Amino acid sequence: MLARIAQELFWLGRDLTRAEHTARMLDGAFHADVAGLPGERGIALSWPGVLAVIGAKAPAPGEDAAEAPELVPWNLGRAEIAPLLTLDTDSPASVVSCISRARERGRTMRDVISTEMWEALNSFYLALGRYDLEAALATGPYSVYQEVKERCALFWGLLERTMLRDEARSFLEAGGRIEDADMVLRMLRVAVPSESIEMEAGHEAEAIGLLQAVGGFQAYRRWVRQVPDLLRVVRFLLYEGNYPGSVASSLAALQQALETADAAPRSSPPVLRLSRLIADLELQRRSPEAGGMLGEMLGRVQDELELIDHDIDERYFAIAALAAVHL
Amino acid sequence: MDVTAQIEDYAVPAGCLDELLDEDGAPRPHAASLVAALLRLGPDALHAAGRRRDAIFMQQGITFQVAGSDGARRDRPFPLDLIPRVLTATEWTVIKRGLAQRIRALNAFVDDVYHAHEIVRAGIVPWSLIVSRPSFARPVHGVRAPGGVYCHVCGCDLVRGGDGIWRVLEDNVRTPSGISYVLENRLAMTRLVPELFSGHRIRPVDHYPTLLLEALRAVAPAADSQPTVVLWTPGPANSAYFEHIFLAREMGIELVEASDLVVRDAACYMRTTAGLQRVHTIYRRLDDDFIDPLEFRPDSLLGVPGLVRAYRAGTVAIANAIGTGVADDKAIYHYVPEMIRFYLDEEPILENVPTYLLSDGKQRRMVLSRLGELVVKPTSESGGKGVFIGPHASVAELEAQARLIEATPERFIAQELVHLSTVPTETGDGRLAPRHVDLRPFAVFGDEIRIVPGGLTRVALKEGSMIVNSSQGGGSKDTWVLDEGEGVDLAPGTLPARRPPRLPDVRYGGWHGQAQQQQQ
Repeated sequence: MLARIAQELFWLGRDLTRAEHTARMLDGAFHADVAGLPGERGIALSWPGVLAVIGAKAPAPGEDAAEAPELVPWNLGRAEIAPLLTLDTDSPASVVSCISRARERGRTMRDVISTEMWEALNSFYLALGRYDLEAALATGPYSVYQEVKERCALFWGLLERTMLRDEARSFLEAGGRIEDADMVLRMLRVAVPSESIEMEAGHEAEAIGLLQAVGGFQAYRRWVRQVPDLLRVVRFLLYEGNYPGSVASSLAALQQALETADAAPRSSPPVLRLSRLIADLELQRRSPEAGGMLGEMLGRVQDELELIDHDIDERYFAIAALAAVHL
Repeated sequence: MDVTAQIEDYAVPAGCLDELLDEDGAPRPHAASLVAALLRLGPDALHAAGRRRDAIFMQQGITFQVAGSDGARRDRPFPLDLIPRVLTATEWTVIKRGLAQRIRALNAFVDDVYHAHEIVRAGIVPWSLIVSRPSFARPVHGVRAPGGVYCHVCGCDLVRGGDGIWRVLEDNVRTPSGISYVLENRLAMTRLVPELFSGHRIRPVDHYPTLLLEALRAVAPAADSQPTVVLWTPGPANSAYFEHIFLAREMGIELVEASDLVVRDAACYMRTTAGLQRVHTIYRRLDDDFIDPLEFRPDSLLGVPGLVRAYRAGTVAIANAIGTGVADDKAIYHYVPEMIRFYLDEEPILENVPTYLLSDGKQRRMVLSRLGELVVKPTSESGGKGVFIGPHASVAELEAQARLIEATPERFIAQELVHLSTVPTETGDGRLAPRHVDLRPFAVFGDEIRIVPGGLTRVALKEGSMIVNSSQGGGSKDTWVLDEGEGVDLAPGTLPARRPPRLPDVRYGGWHGQAQQQQQ
């Protein structure tokens, strides 16, 4: 398929997933804020913490790098950050911006994605325009974020149900899954203090908050059946292949998508690098580790993920970018 | 609201023909059951269906952009009027044959212009007129398109005057648009007002993408396997982008932009995730001027450098062929009936609207004396730009136009004003009123000429207006060609109805029923 279209699909997937994760995270932050969970040590879901997760993101193509919010002083709170990341159309990281970018991409690819997926995307965008979002955010942000989550789920569900298992779908899924892994890693890195985690020293509220912010609280309860302390939760979100939102699951899905899309996966740099990363994670999972290594480990995984992203760009999309430079 | 009030104060403008109701306000025979269905439906239901239509079109993204009063561009649902236009099978047969004949002649003319110039030597069309057309494409002189087909996709605009005769108002053999609305309109109608369809057999239109793809494959240069066909769009900012993406989707082909195509060694390729891939046929939706900066406009950013070289080498087919614009120029239009006689040795089935060439002194004097009754059009424009309508013009405008004609007579043609026929149209509150319409049928020329039954009916939604362009307040209608009555090609019902097979082993209710049986 066309390299330009493949890249658009990849970023459509990324934008949608980014919107969903942002919504979930903000929802979690609101919850923590309102419920008054202890905030001094637990930086995971403090408002500046949320901003740190999003703020350091490199802009997507089509975003203006200059517009990306600079790292704002740490004293900003709910009143500034929630609207900035939800409805500010000038901020490229906001949920609304992600969705309108995704919709704009979808509009130019109505021939590639299924009609039902396009309609889901379009009505998602139109629904966000209908809301008086500012008012909704002030009174009940829950319903806004709930709608974002449901509409994203609808899109991916329709993909599952109606889209041909072809290259186009693989790139769309690859984008969604790499963003999944990236967002969860960011959250974990913000949540895990750089100094060592003491195994028994709770951070319990923070751990629960983290699980809720990725929508995995119930899954953790059913699978681990132990009190959620930070170390267990981080391990769960990083390694647990049975939980679809974990980094390991996302990477496995990404690998599968790339193998489907690539004509020669055995000699494909992104696939090779990804396979190594997955094997590496599996090895780490099996070896007992000290809490102190964890922060460093998360950093390594994310660096590696960035290289994979770069490889994907090189291998599949660079040929289109060449033409753009030429023009 | 009283249901019959819908057509009670229905006043057809003087001199016009209404296609649904006769002079006494009674439905014409072929439309009787449609009118009855409309009256049964009533104004309120019609109005409600209109609101449903707008909501659905917004959600599906069947919209076009208009600038609001504050300058911001907004999406508006495409204005589909819910009252269909009905053509009988007999009428359609005439239109179909007439169009096919006309397109064969136009195609022959394009071939002649770039090769033997026979029509020029016969003294019918002056050579100076042909070469002075802006759309005359010198770079393709002597290039014969694969299969000798140049006008793969054509859309001619037809109008019907007060005498009920169909005439061709304009030919379009460059990149006619509107077919996507024909297909979307039919689909929307079956969903919104299924009641209206009862009691009719209507010819389907949804095979158009198949016809088009077959034609595009048929003209492809030889390929090892299935030829690769692509649709080339200028980009999302183009007003017809919806149609481009619609056709690409329906045909299952790639929608490419200029940056996706590249010419290497006189062959055209597209940039894919697996490297360069050969392209055999390009269905392009942009004008000649922009397709190759090396041969046409050098400032075109939308073009592919070297494409004409590949085309000359015969490694890629382009539809419509380069240089076809010379055939649908308004100054050439005048000669089309002569072309039909010259190339085909046939009498034209569809007439032209009477047209006067202003470069001819005698005709010019006649036109200037009757300027207030005629329509004047610039020759090398399209989309209703610069059209002057005599009866609607002020004295100052008349004088200005007369001066323009005196100064550059060869830039204009004059035509008799056609009082466009009317069709009942919903006015926004469920009531019906007559509105003027035209018709653009779509033809595809691959191995042979195939024409989709009906076509796009454009309707001027403003009372009394005869301007049907969607950019100027025009809407569209679903166009039905009846598949019954006189003039039907094939007698219906020649195939016996097929009965579903009996499957005694498949039980009603499945295993659940069996479990119940066991319990008994």
